[in-house]
Amino acid sequence: MILEGTHINKYFYDPDKHQVLKDNSLQISEGELVSIYGESGSGKSTLLYILSTLDTDFEGQLFIQGQDIKKLDSTALTDFRNKHIGFVYQFHYLLPEFNVLQNVMLPALKLREKSRVAIQQDALALLDEVGIAEYAHRPSYKLSGGQQQRVAIARALINDPTLIIADEPTGNLDQKNTDIVFKLLQNITENRGKTVLIATHNPKIYKNSTRTIEMIDGSIRL
Amino acid sequence: MPKPVLNTTNLFIAFQYLLTRKKQSILATLGVMLGVTTFIVMVNFMTGVNDFLDDAVFNGSPDIIVGATPDGKKKKQNFGTAIHALAKVEEIDHFLENDQNVSSFAHQIISPAILISTTAQLPGSINGVFPLEERKMVDLDRRLLSGKGFKSLLQGHTILLGVSLAKRLEVVVGDEVNMLLSNGKNMKLEVSGIFSFGITTIDNVRTYVSAKTLQKLMHQENKITNIHVKLKNRDDVALKTVLSENFKAITTQDWKDSNKTIVIGNKVRDILTWSVSFALLLVAGFGIYNILNITVIQKRKDIAVLKTIGYAARDIVFIFLIQSIIIGLLGAVFGTSLGYLISYIISTTPLDTSDFIIVETYPINFKLSYYILGFLFGVITTVLAGYFPSKKASRVDPVTIIRGI
Ligand SMILES: Nc1ncnc2c1ncn2[C@@H]1O[C@H](COP(=O)(O)OP(=O)(O)O)[C@@H](O)[C@H]1O
Ligand SMILES: [Mg+2]
Repeated sequence: MILEGTHINKYFYDPDKHQVLKDNSLQISEGELVSIYGESGSGKSTLLYILSTLDTDFEGQLFIQGQDIKKLDSTALTDFRNKHIGFVYQFHYLLPEFNVLQNVMLPALKLREKSRVAIQQDALALLDEVGIAEYAHRPSYKLSGGQQQRVAIARALINDPTLIIADEPTGNLDQKNTDIVFKLLQNITENRGKTVLIATHNPKIYKNSTRTIEMIDGSIRL
Repeated sequence: MPKPVLNTTNLFIAFQYLLTRKKQSILATLGVMLGVTTFIVMVNFMTGVNDFLDDAVFNGSPDIIVGATPDGKKKKQNFGTAIHALAKVEEIDHFLENDQNVSSFAHQIISPAILISTTAQLPGSINGVFPLEERKMVDLDRRLLSGKGFKSLLQGHTILLGVSLAKRLEVVVGDEVNMLLSNGKNMKLEVSGIFSFGITTIDNVRTYVSAKTLQKLMHQENKITNIHVKLKNRDDVALKTVLSENFKAITTQDWKDSNKTIVIGNKVRDILTWSVSFALLLVAGFGIYNILNITVIQKRKDIAVLKTIGYAARDIVFIFLIQSIIIGLLGAVFGTSLGYLISYIISTTPLDTSDFIIVETYPINFKLSYYILGFLFGVITTVLAGYFPSKKASRVDPVTIIRGI
C-alpha cells in the first residue's frame, strides 16, 4: 500500500463554510495507474493537493508509504515531498530563469543525495526519455507547451519518487501531445513500477488506466 | 534534522535571480553604494573639520582660564587701562596642584599692545609667558612656520608672532618690532619665531613674549593676570565651578564658554552627517525593499513551484535574503572604496583660505572605524530591507498559486 486516505473531508470558508470533499477514503497500491475523472468543480484538484501533501488543512487521515502526513512539520513535509512525490500540473510551470536541464535538476539539487555531475547525468537521461534531450540547454520558456509538459514530467521523476501525481496533465495539450504525455505516464508505471495518480477529463486516459475513480460532487465512487 | 539553508543549490538559485534581473540588481547596488559613499565622505570630511578645529582651538587655548575680576566700578576695556592682577596666586596654584583632573597649568600676564614695524602699526594681544611652563601647555613646535619655539623667549628680548600678524607687519624671523604698551613704555623685540594655529582669530593677534620682560616693562613685578589650566578630561569642567566657589575675586572660563560657536558647529556637523547618511541609506533600503517586494509578487509562481518540488520555507527565505545580502555587500564594498577615493581627492584639493581657518587643503579624517561603520551600515540596511519581502516569499501558499496558474 503506497497511499491510504481515510475519511478525508475538506471545507472552504470563502465566501462561507462549504464542504468540498465529503468523506473520501481510498487506497492505492504500488504500480497502479489510477485516474480520477469527474465534472469540473467536483473536487478533483482539491483531493490531489491533499494527497500530494501540499494541502494539510483537511479532516481525516493520510498515510503515504506508511508515513502519517499529519505528523510531519512543514520542513519535514517538504523534505518528504521532495523525496517521495513527483507533481505535474496542468500548466506545466517551469522556472524561466533556468534552462531546461537546470529545471529538471532542481528537485535533486535540493535532495542532495547525489553529486551535481550524477544529477546532471540523470537529468539528461530523463530528458532523453521524454524526447527533449536536444533542448537541454535552452531557456525553459523557449519550448512549446507540449515540450514543457514533458520537461515537467522529467522534473517530477528526477528524485525517483514512488508516487507521481498529475492534475489534468494534458488539459492544455493538443491530441498529439496528449498521447505523448500519457504514453510517458504509462511507461512510468509499466517500466519503472511507479504509482501514478491522474485527474483528467480525457476518456482516452481514464479508459486506459489500471483503475478509474469517479468524483461526483466531492465524493469519490470507487 | 533539517538540512542547512546555506548550500550551493540555494546560492545558485539566488544568483540566477540576481543575474536575470541585472538592471534592478545593479540599481539596488548603486543605491546602497550611494548611501555608503555619502556616509564615508561626510563623516571623513565633517569629523576632519571637527578634529581640525578641536586641534587648532583647544590645543591653542587652555581648557580653563582663571582671571581677576575687575575690582570696583567696571572700567571700560579701553586700550590703555591698567591690568587686573590676579590675587592669591599661591593659593590657587596650591589648589590646582591638588586637583586630580588638572594635567598642567601655567601663569600668564596678558596685555594689549601696539606692535610697530617699519611699515605698519597694529594692535596685538601680548601673552607674557613662562616659556618652560607654557611648553607643557601649548605644542607650539608643531605650529611653527619659521624660527624657534618658546625656549627662544628665555633671552628676554624676543617675540613670537602669529603668522597673519607677522604678514601684516611685513616682518620675518630676525626682524625687529617695537612693542608699545598702554603705559607709554616701549621696547624693541626681535622676532624669533612665527607660528600658525590655522585659526584667523588667533593668528591675527596672538604674540608671545617672556612674562618677566612684560612684568618689568609694566612695573608689575611678579604679577600675573591669568592662570591657564589644561585638564586631563576636558569634558569634565567641574573645576571651573569649584574654583569660583573657593576664590572670590576671580573669573573662570572654560573652553566651552570661549569656543561656543565651534562647539555648536561641531554638533551641527555631527547631526548633519548622521541625518543625511541615515536618510540616504533609508532611501536605498526602501529601494531594495521595493525591488524585492515586486520580485516576490512577480515570482509567486516560481516560489510555489519551488515549494512543491521540495524547497522549504526556510530555503525560500534564504534564497531571497541572500540576494539582498549580496546587493548589500557589493554596495558596501563599492561604497567604501568610492568614499575613500572621493575623500582622498578632497583631501588633496587646495582650499582657498577663508577668513576663519587657514589650511592648505581640506581636512579629512580617514579613520578606519568610519569605514567599518559605513560598511556595516550598508549591509545591515539591506538585510533589514530584504528580510520582510523574504518572509513574505516564504509564506506563499503553493496550492492557492497553482490553482491560479
Ligand atoms: N480557495 C478556495 N476557496 C473556496 N472555494 C474553493 C477554493 N478552491 C476551490 N474551491 C471550490 O471547491 C470546489 C472544487 O474545486 P476543484 O477541486 O478545483 O475542482 P476540480 O479540480 O474537480 O475542477 C469548486 O466548487 C471550487 O469553486
Ligand atoms: Mg481541477
